Amino acid sequence: MAKEFDISRIVQFIKRDVTLLKGSIVTGLLVSSILLFLFCLFNMAWDKKLSADEFFGCFSLCYFPLGVLYTYAICREFQNPKLNHTYLSLPVSTQERITAKWLNAYLLYTLGFSLLAITVGMFAMIVGTIIFRADFTITSLFSTNYWNVVFLYFFVQPIFLVGALSFTKNRIGKTLLVLGVLFIGFLIFNFICFGLLNHDFGIFSGESTGSLAFDKASKDFSLFGRWFYGLIFGPLMLLVAYYKIKEKEV
Amino acid sequence: MLNCKQLQFNYPKSRPILKSVDLNFGSGNIYGLFGKNGEGKSTLMKLVCGLLTPEFGYCTLFGESTHARSVQTLKDLFFIPEDFELPALPIYTFEKINSVFYPNFSREHFYTLIEEFRLYRKQDISKLSFGQKKKVLIAFGLATNTPLLLLDEPTNGLDIPSKSQFRKILASSINEDKCIIISTHQVRDLHSLIDHMVILDNAQVIFNQSLSTVSDALWFGRPSKENESEVLFSESTFGGRVILNREFQEESEVDLELLFNGVLSNPEKINSILKN
Repeated sequence: MAKEFDISRIVQFIKRDVTLLKGSIVTGLLVSSILLFLFCLFNMAWDKKLSADEFFGCFSLCYFPLGVLYTYAICREFQNPKLNHTYLSLPVSTQERITAKWLNAYLLYTLGFSLLAITVGMFAMIVGTIIFRADFTITSLFSTNYWNVVFLYFFVQPIFLVGALSFTKNRIGKTLLVLGVLFIGFLIFNFICFGLLNHDFGIFSGESTGSLAFDKASKDFSLFGRWFYGLIFGPLMLLVAYYKIKEKEV
Repeated sequence: MLNCKQLQFNYPKSRPILKSVDLNFGSGNIYGLFGKNGEGKSTLMKLVCGLLTPEFGYCTLFGESTHARSVQTLKDLFFIPEDFELPALPIYTFEKINSVFYPNFSREHFYTLIEEFRLYRKQDISKLSFGQKKKVLIAFGLATNTPLLLLDEPTNGLDIPSKSQFRKILASSINEDKCIIISTHQVRDLHSLIDHMVILDNAQVIFNQSLSTVSDALWFGRPSKENESEVLFSESTFGGRVILNREFQEESEVDLELLFNGVLSNPEKINSILKN
């Protein structure tokens, strides 16, 4: 009886995805390298330096969109009716498929893109010191900004993974639409709860109490909110993605 | 080997595609699954592979439900769909990235078949015609050496020489451990290849017999004047060929197309003769 979770099969499955998308990966990385290089250069032209804040601002401008596109690309076979027969009948279990997709689209992508971005950033800085006489400061990979960006992507990526596995056409647009509708839904729900619970304090009387409370609520999550959004939401979406794969029919 | 029990299926807002289908497939046989267009042949294949969920009933391969799509079950079967696309890769890369998942895959057999199909390993799949892509997938499917091989309309897209080449290759690939199920509506393409015939009509199995049973009980050919009255089925388009109860006549080659049409026109009559 074959094992349902085999690390070597996961590695082979990732290799398969990478081989299939080799062309798209190279193109994507080249385009994002050029964009990142230009963003860094423009930043240095302004104030003759590239701070870690500025660099990771540029980094996230490329890291997020490219990561989302990569997530959709690795799920292409799953949704294509002409490809999914052979894809779904490959001897790989659902656990292995979801693990491989996540490792590939989050961990390997983050590692690969980070190394590339640091290299491009260094190169841009060298060019910047020559052209603009900018300061040369070695950007730290382990700065708080970097980990914030990577952590945010850890939360965002599984949402797009579920979107990539759920929709067959206009997948990115539909995922964004669902996110927008959910966001508005949450906003209205929170507004109603807030109004009902705090009405007696005169929050809608035109005084600044209401807007202060809203400001605070947008920055300061409750303990439950921190746990839910920070630790549970990402894995929860991965669980949803697991069932999407498991229940997929052709 | 493969058992389907009370299999029932319909697509949303459509008539039933399969109504309580019971089938057993054993190793060492090549099964022909026939039926008119839209009678559920492809659906049955997808249900067998676990790519669709039955409304009722189940399919088991070596006793394990195929719907669970467990690694062991998927290692034991390979499905070649009717309409498919292959990635834009050289043939050898396609083999390399997919063969690792099949423990009994034979690279030697694969490249022998590729050569027999007049393709070569460095050829880019995206530049091949649909028929050539089908040959790549057929070669890959045969080289996986899975106990169960399912082919849905495999001869669609193949030219006439390739069809006979396909028959020859498939006939040489069968052994006692393998079961091959071929679904098609082009009955003639499987001439002299299959040894068991299953016909689907009106969402049910209306015929399920081995060809040895058929040739023992029925006779195919042009009737003499004495036995014209005993004709079970005839069609003028077949050059006056008919189906007769064999009785004391010499054994004849089974005419698949004639048998298929005969069964569709009167399944009870032919089935009752085969039962006796």
